[in-house]
Amino acid sequence: MKRGASARLLAALAAGSLLVAACSGDDESTDGTTAETTAETSGGETTVADTGGETTVAETTPEAEGWAVDTEACIDPDAANAPIEGEVKIGSAMPLTGGVAAAAFAPVKGGFEAYIKYANENGLLGDMTVSATIEDDQYNKDLTPGAVSKQIDAGVHLFSGIIGSPNNAAVRDTLNEECIPQLNALTGSPAWGEVEDYPWTTGILVPYTVESKVYAAQLAELYPEGATVALFYVNNEFGQVYADAFKELAADYNLEIVDEQTIEATDAAPPTSQITSIASKAPDVVMAVPLGAGCIGFLTELAAAKAQNAGWAPATFITNTCASSLILGAAGAAADGLYTSGNLKDVTAPANAEDPAVKEYLAYMESQGLSDIAATAAAGWTTAEVTVAIIKQAMESPEGLTRASIINAARNFEYTPMLAREGVVDRMNGAEDPFLAETLQVLQYDFETATFTDVGELITEFETS
Amino acid sequence: MKTAPFTIKSGGTASWAIRIAIAVVLAGLALWIPTSASNGLIDSCITALTLMACAMALNLLLGYTGQISIGHSAFFGIGAYTTGILVAQYGWSPFQTFAVAFVVAFVVGALVSLPALRIKGVYLALVTLALGLVFPQIIKWPKLEWLTGGARGLDKTGFRFTKDNPTYEIFGWNPWGTLRGENVKPFHYWIAMVIVVIVYLACRGVVKSRAGRSLVAIRDNETAAAVMGVNLAGTKALVFGLSAALCSLPGCLSAIRTGNVTPDSTNLTVAGSITFLIVMVVGGAGSLWGPIVGSVLYVFVTELTGDWSDKQAIPAVLRPLFGWSNTPPGTGIFAVLLIVLMFVAPFGIVGMYRRLQARVVTVVPKPAGTGTIAAPAAAPVEA
Amino acid sequence: MELFLQRLFDGLSQGSVYSLIALGLVIIYRGTGHLNFAQGEMALFCTYVVYQCGEWGLPIGVSVIIGMGVGFALGAATEVTLIRPVAKKSAFAVFIVTLGLFQFLNWLDGAIWSDQPLPNSGVGSNQQSFPSLFPNKPDDFINVFGAAIKLQSIGVFLLVLVLFGLLYLLFNYTKLGLAMNAVASNPESAKLVGIRTNMVLMVSWGLAAAIGALGGVVFAGINSNVNLGLMFTVFIYASAAATLGGFDSPGGAVLGGLIIGVIENMAAGYAEEWVGQELKVGVALVVILVVLLVKPSGLFGTAKVERV
Repeated sequence: MKRGASARLLAALAAGSLLVAACSGDDESTDGTTAETTAETSGGETTVADTGGETTVAETTPEAEGWAVDTEACIDPDAANAPIEGEVKIGSAMPLTGGVAAAAFAPVKGGFEAYIKYANENGLLGDMTVSATIEDDQYNKDLTPGAVSKQIDAGVHLFSGIIGSPNNAAVRDTLNEECIPQLNALTGSPAWGEVEDYPWTTGILVPYTVESKVYAAQLAELYPEGATVALFYVNNEFGQVYADAFKELAADYNLEIVDEQTIEATDAAPPTSQITSIASKAPDVVMAVPLGAGCIGFLTELAAAKAQNAGWAPATFITNTCASSLILGAAGAAADGLYTSGNLKDVTAPANAEDPAVKEYLAYMESQGLSDIAATAAAGWTTAEVTVAIIKQAMESPEGLTRASIINAARNFEYTPMLAREGVVDRMNGAEDPFLAETLQVLQYDFETATFTDVGELITEFETS
Repeated sequence: MKTAPFTIKSGGTASWAIRIAIAVVLAGLALWIPTSASNGLIDSCITALTLMACAMALNLLLGYTGQISIGHSAFFGIGAYTTGILVAQYGWSPFQTFAVAFVVAFVVGALVSLPALRIKGVYLALVTLALGLVFPQIIKWPKLEWLTGGARGLDKTGFRFTKDNPTYEIFGWNPWGTLRGENVKPFHYWIAMVIVVIVYLACRGVVKSRAGRSLVAIRDNETAAAVMGVNLAGTKALVFGLSAALCSLPGCLSAIRTGNVTPDSTNLTVAGSITFLIVMVVGGAGSLWGPIVGSVLYVFVTELTGDWSDKQAIPAVLRPLFGWSNTPPGTGIFAVLLIVLMFVAPFGIVGMYRRLQARVVTVVPKPAGTGTIAAPAAAPVEA
Repeated sequence: MELFLQRLFDGLSQGSVYSLIALGLVIIYRGTGHLNFAQGEMALFCTYVVYQCGEWGLPIGVSVIIGMGVGFALGAATEVTLIRPVAKKSAFAVFIVTLGLFQFLNWLDGAIWSDQPLPNSGVGSNQQSFPSLFPNKPDDFINVFGAAIKLQSIGVFLLVLVLFGLLYLLFNYTKLGLAMNAVASNPESAKLVGIRTNMVLMVSWGLAAAIGALGGVVFAGINSNVNLGLMFTVFIYASAAATLGGFDSPGGAVLGGLIIGVIENMAAGYAEEWVGQELKVGVALVVILVVLLVKPSGLFGTAKVERV
């Protein structure tokens, strides 16, 4: 049940978490530049990775038109290049049962399916229709291969929005060998930028490493003289990737980490003893990486500790997995003044009520009887929107719509989702920029008005152009 | 026993004919699936085989010695992590890791069984539950992070046929070279099948042996068993260790098949243990066939109902029954099945089948002492 | 020193929650000799009922009473329809039935309540968060020698004491309670002397589930949310508490819960290098193991726990 349910992906839950990011140019992958798929081309003999693979690179160097996948390495290259007609089938695997995780991600499915319907109703793909099937993998990575295989059998042309790092990792070998695009993995692990080894796999969330960098930079601005920081994070892959990234950066930004406390994702009790330890060190800043309901417990405990330790008023940074006005509303006054980040508009904020995109989204969700989950379904909606946009771009490419043209479109892609904040442009550019979303806005939460205020400018520096 | 209309003599022609027929059908199925079935079916089978091996290992312990364990996910995890660590950190071939996992799990299992020698019933369940809970925590322990990768887990733990992976050879056969560009699902399927056969044979060997009879004796009456000269401590520790070791093998497969290991994955946590237990009990505790039936049924039901949160996907007849649910009803159905079975057939589906069968066919066992005999197909061993 | 006191108070306040859940376990164990694995999930179901009442606009006081009523009915019905018939067969069957119930209730909660606006949170359209029974604002605390005790913790602690007191009175001074004791110590003779054993067992389960429901609501209030995983870890700690205190002793359960809460907090706080937050659940494991090996009846239990 739940326990495993570590929900690293809860990340997706919080509406804000979508797109962000850091391209960071991913140095390892840039050297090879092209035709990543060489991965498969160098047969068994190859322990000599450096020679075998790289030499083939030269064959396909579409410098001019940008990155292109090499379908020669596919099990069935013809299938990868076969035109898709009539209906594009999107497949996905999400946790629909399995306790905590399933319940937390349910709105992602709702939002995803709603957008697919919206796209068909509005004829976004011209005379093509698009359909989505979402299989249940119970957030169990051992079930993801089965869920995905079933859909491959059913003739799915691409996958999108599979939830969970281990779950995506469990099928990326298969999908890369079969040459079926695995788009928009709903996880912010930096692992989705391995263009060379996994050309057919892309992610949609801002890599957690980028988010960490954004917070560190903001901290440096608040504390030019340096600051002491306590880290509080959920003890699973999600939390550890964040924490490690932050620790690595700390020195560069003159931050000293004085305490590190963790909480299990499955532990429902509030982190009383962790906060007691943190408070005893009285750091200037608390950088927190909690998940889902854990955000609420963390904030209330921290507020209590602040009240109990007069004179201690740390700045609080919390990851954007918690940046939902519903979660922060539950935390009440405890959430006042905290910093977080996001790149989607807060659909529940009164200030955005007149925003045409938000209006349209809310109206459509309401027409589908989904207004209850509208606030949390934006991540699913946006994932589907980006997927459809990629398909559209592939349709317009000279090759027409094929599996190969879909991944080529995905990797040469520039787009602003309708719910994205003003100024956000998500880009992917072959091996140079393997991450889609790398733009973030630092936000500060105001309890009185229950809204987020922008702090500084939209951070676009990680999104290479 | 009521006289049934038909009588079959164990070891007689009819008995052998039936057994051969079953074996042929099963072997045919086992061969047909990887060669001709769809990818989805192959994957479902791998999932079922994985659960099957776990449930068999658990069955050895619970069904035959009466010891309850809700901690077998830890042994599954030992398998997964042994493979994960050796492949990802030390560059071993995944195949070489099975033996190591087996030994490690055996040792840990035997050690864990030491308290089991003194604790019985639900209390043992509590202790093993704690073991299941603590295992992922140990993996995440900062002091072990250098080895286990901590909460992040380890990546690329399977046969990944890429250029930067080392070449793996199995007795001179290079699976990468052979399988590169091929669908690897049948390959995983065969690994799973071999594991299940090994686990089955091990369980069968134990159960049909002298040791097995002492096991049943322990389950049914410990004191009497001790009086009759059964070495309680030794037998229990051995069985616990063996059960743990067998349960680690499907764990190795999991690491190979999904290419990554994380401490939070379902089968490594108590949720996994509970699934193993449910599969085993539904199929039939204390019978070699129980886990086979249970796991196939479990995978069938969960996959069938997997998309039932979409009302349209539910067959019209069942829609009033499940249409209200926001989540697929697989877990709920199995939970209800589990409870109902405790009322009508405590020995699971296989137990129920045997009871029904006994009304139709009587199997006359061979006289004692004539060597290998089939389990009395009639009444299941009642506890 | 202040830090030590703070950790002590933290431990006690966490421990009192364990005690609360452990009380329910103990009542069932006393009556039937069974460990109810579904105790936590039964409590969770009732907590969701309370959440639902809140969505309907009922005040928390009324909701809690409804929740406890539902709990009582659920517990009593479970005993009569599910536990009693299989209890005749074997203890193993009871264990499996409670396990089935555990799975079923958790699934049911998800099936009914997973479409909350913020799933897995207890945040509804009419409630911003799960209401607490006690004052829980950040500045609701009192200062004792420089360490803070939350009013909420005091509330929970008092609630546990009151419950314990009521149970003490029940078991020692009421006809029902004496009958429960009699059934617990010897069901056969109890029947012979005219005690309606069935009735008593039914009430035991109902009572246990009602107390569980209260525990669930209190815990959800502390967390400001209710979610599908709320009770699982707590249930483990409560089992450890009951094991430590003795499975048939309400006083033992209370004390056991407090001790476990304190040990766990101290271990996580002062042995950060070796235990830390990651391994503190190991503390509960060690407690269970040591107690079962050294003194299976726990600190205050009567010696009837099985062992060879």
